[in-house]
Amino acid sequence: MFTLMLLVSTSSLAGNFKVQSAEISKIGNGYILDATISYPLTPRVKEAISNGVPITFLQQLELVHSIAIFGKYWQWDKTLWTTSLRYELRYHALTEQYVLKALDTEHYRNFPSLDSALTALGTIKEVSLPPEHLANTDGLIFQIRSGLDLYALPTPMRPGALLSNKWQVTSPWKIATWP
Amino acid sequence: MALKFIKRLSSGPAPYFTLGALLLTLAYLLSAATQDSSRLNDLFLFLFGVGILSLILLAAILIRSLIRLYRDFKRNEAGSRLTIRLVTLFVMLILVSTTIVYSFSIHFLHRGINSWFDVKVEQALNDSLELSRTTFGIRLRTLLRQTRMMAGVLSELPESDINHNLRELTQLSGALEIGIWSIDGKLITSSIETPAIIIPNQPNKAIFRQLQQEKDYIGLDPGENGDLQLRAAVRIPKNPALLEDRILHVLFPINERLSSLGKTVQDAYTDYKELSYLRKPLITIFTLTLSLIVLLTVLASIWFAIWISRRMVLPLQELADGTQSVASGNYNTQLTSAGHDEIGFLVRSFNQMTQRLTQARNATQRSHRQLEQQTNYLGTVLGSLSSGVITLDDKLHLKTANVTSSTILSINLQHRLEQPLTQLVEKSESLKDFVQMIFDQIQQHRSWQHQLELHLNKRHQTLMCRGTPLPNKAGWVIVFDDVTTLMQAQRNAAWGEVARRLAHEIKNPLTPIQLSAERLQHKYLPLLPDDQTELLNKLTNTIIQQVDAMKDMVNDFSDYARNPSLQLADYAMSDLIQDVLTLYQNNPDHHVSLLKDQQPLQVKIDSNRFRQVLHNLVKNAIEASEEADLSVVVQLSYKRIQENYSNWLELKICDHGPGIPADMLAKLFEPYATNKIKGTGLGLAIVKKIIEEHHGIVWAENISPTGACIMIRLPLEDFKL
Repeated sequence: MFTLMLLVSTSSLAGNFKVQSAEISKIGNGYILDATISYPLTPRVKEAISNGVPITFLQQLELVHSIAIFGKYWQWDKTLWTTSLRYELRYHALTEQYVLKALDTEHYRNFPSLDSALTALGTIKEVSLPPEHLANTDGLIFQIRSGLDLYALPTPMRPGALLSNKWQVTSPWKIATWP
Repeated sequence: MALKFIKRLSSGPAPYFTLGALLLTLAYLLSAATQDSSRLNDLFLFLFGVGILSLILLAAILIRSLIRLYRDFKRNEAGSRLTIRLVTLFVMLILVSTTIVYSFSIHFLHRGINSWFDVKVEQALNDSLELSRTTFGIRLRTLLRQTRMMAGVLSELPESDINHNLRELTQLSGALEIGIWSIDGKLITSSIETPAIIIPNQPNKAIFRQLQQEKDYIGLDPGENGDLQLRAAVRIPKNPALLEDRILHVLFPINERLSSLGKTVQDAYTDYKELSYLRKPLITIFTLTLSLIVLLTVLASIWFAIWISRRMVLPLQELADGTQSVASGNYNTQLTSAGHDEIGFLVRSFNQMTQRLTQARNATQRSHRQLEQQTNYLGTVLGSLSSGVITLDDKLHLKTANVTSSTILSINLQHRLEQPLTQLVEKSESLKDFVQMIFDQIQQHRSWQHQLELHLNKRHQTLMCRGTPLPNKAGWVIVFDDVTTLMQAQRNAAWGEVARRLAHEIKNPLTPIQLSAERLQHKYLPLLPDDQTELLNKLTNTIIQQVDAMKDMVNDFSDYARNPSLQLADYAMSDLIQDVLTLYQNNPDHHVSLLKDQQPLQVKIDSNRFRQVLHNLVKNAIEASEEADLSVVVQLSYKRIQENYSNWLELKICDHGPGIPADMLAKLFEPYATNKIKGTGLGLAIVKKIIEEHHGIVWAENISPTGACIMIRLPLEDFKL
């Protein structure tokens, strides 16, 4: 359901988020990813954050094996590996700090301003890629995108957010370059 | 496909209950989905979509039902008005009650949600947050000063002592962690109070940037589990021995009590703020859900109202149709029973009524048939009677008349039923005596019998009439017989008997008388003196002549009395007449001629007897003219005529003699009715007898200026209507 909604939103509306760069570099036998994502938040999202609503960001990484069946016009994509990194950003009123928390690791960091928090969020550094799929990188595509997890919003906001284009900010897929 | 589905959905009772159950489920799911903790949370949009779809479907069904209702109303179908009235009533009820409930619900919803928020509470929370910040602010400033002092101390220490002094400083200041960082973010050395942690907490880039601008940093940091810690970062005063600028970064713990208080304030503030922010979408969602459920309920209720109205009106409609069909004469109408309520009772009563009506009608039809059979029977009996039967009502209007009555009176009485008797006179003058006789006789108010002579149809008729009053003075039944033939037959029989006797009694002595006279003449003539011979001769001749005449007369009588059977055969009329006329055309003084008809006519007659008729008539005509010393001109003519639905041959024998005296006309054809000097007086009687044997009629007419015609009518074989 969630993926469906996410896909629908990406296909119908151009996302506000944008993956600025995505690069893969080889370190020893493994590969690591460096990427920067810009998060220009819409006023609606900023308003929600300033009102104490936690916003969940998603960074979706995907490794696809693309097999050309008929030249470059018709290809069959097989997803080999996929992962979602989820971050929660919330405003801490007492300390006037923005707390960015990685939901998978429970690791958190504080930022005095929203921009610094978003910059930190948008900086992906040295994420290692799964080595089991990377013996041969021919025909492999690594792509990345980012968006908001609208299903993590409080219930009353969810229908409005799901239907409103002010919340449809998912970036298009960005294909990372191989070294 | 979709229309078919809608059609199937909107017929019968099952879909209504199914729909009701579905709507209830949907309403429950929707309300559950709006609960914050529900697992159906994520399904809210889906459920809402289902709700909207059901709304559209329901609206389509409803519109179809309404259109059907309107169409029925336009067509003025039975029951449509009542249905519309019921539906309107139901719809008004539904709309009014639902609107009231809906508006109150919306009102309470708004009030309920808005009542969570209070300006005072909000202000208090803001203030407590501010208070916390101020409280922490004082501590922050103290700690900033302390940190700066620590930096001052550290700046004066040689590089080698720093590590040792740092640990001391940590213990002295009560800090959680002290770290010295280069200005570009590299860790130089650190001291951590907690033994488990090895890597010191790195201040983020924003702090470094701030310090690069020569501004010290002090701030509260939300830590793990929401507890707080203080972070201070100051630049270490420049040491000429060192190449780079350094930063002192200290994390101070916060008193547990203060920390937990701050945490409570922060949580309450955030919750309140979030809730306040979510108020609008919350109200919107609840309103939408409520509206959807209300709309669904209203539409479903209206649909149900239409269905129930139709269901209620259906038996009434059937009753109306049934009544109409009974009114138009179809008594077999039976309605399907409709439950055990009053309407069902009405339907059952209606069915009983129609059953009784059918039985009654069948009984009536049976008796009517019997009556008809009886009437037919009576009609047949009356029709086959040789007597005329007519009935009159108390006002002397003709009620019934059988066929024979029309035949006898020569007037179609069937066309004059229900007309007063006096109108018969207007139509036929000859019936005047008949009508007058009836008027005269019924004065007596009892049965009567009367014989009446009528001159009908150029015939002399004798009617025997009997009248009987009907019971209850309802009129009269009058029976009459044409006894003409009977009387004629009686007279003929009497005459025949007379003639036979005469012939028998007189003819026998005539021959001896004649022979004796001849013998007397023969024997005594020579013996007598000459002066007496003449006398004797004269006397005996007279006797002989008179006996001859008497013989002729007796022969005529015997002819008249004779009654041989007719030898009928087909003859051409013109040939027959011509044969007879040739006998009379030798005398140049006699002009006897036949005016031929254009078409040859074949008649079935006894030729010998018909010749006798012609002889008698032609002879009569000649003699009549001769006796009056008039020129003998006799003309015969015949033609086919149609009268009384029959074809007749009309034969006319006309002379230009003196005509027939008026008093003779009526009894011209009776024996011995003659004014002739010669003749037996039986000639015309024989004519009449023969013609009547041929079922014909004969009569005489005078023509102007002088002359008479004998008219004969013989029935022709090719009888046609």
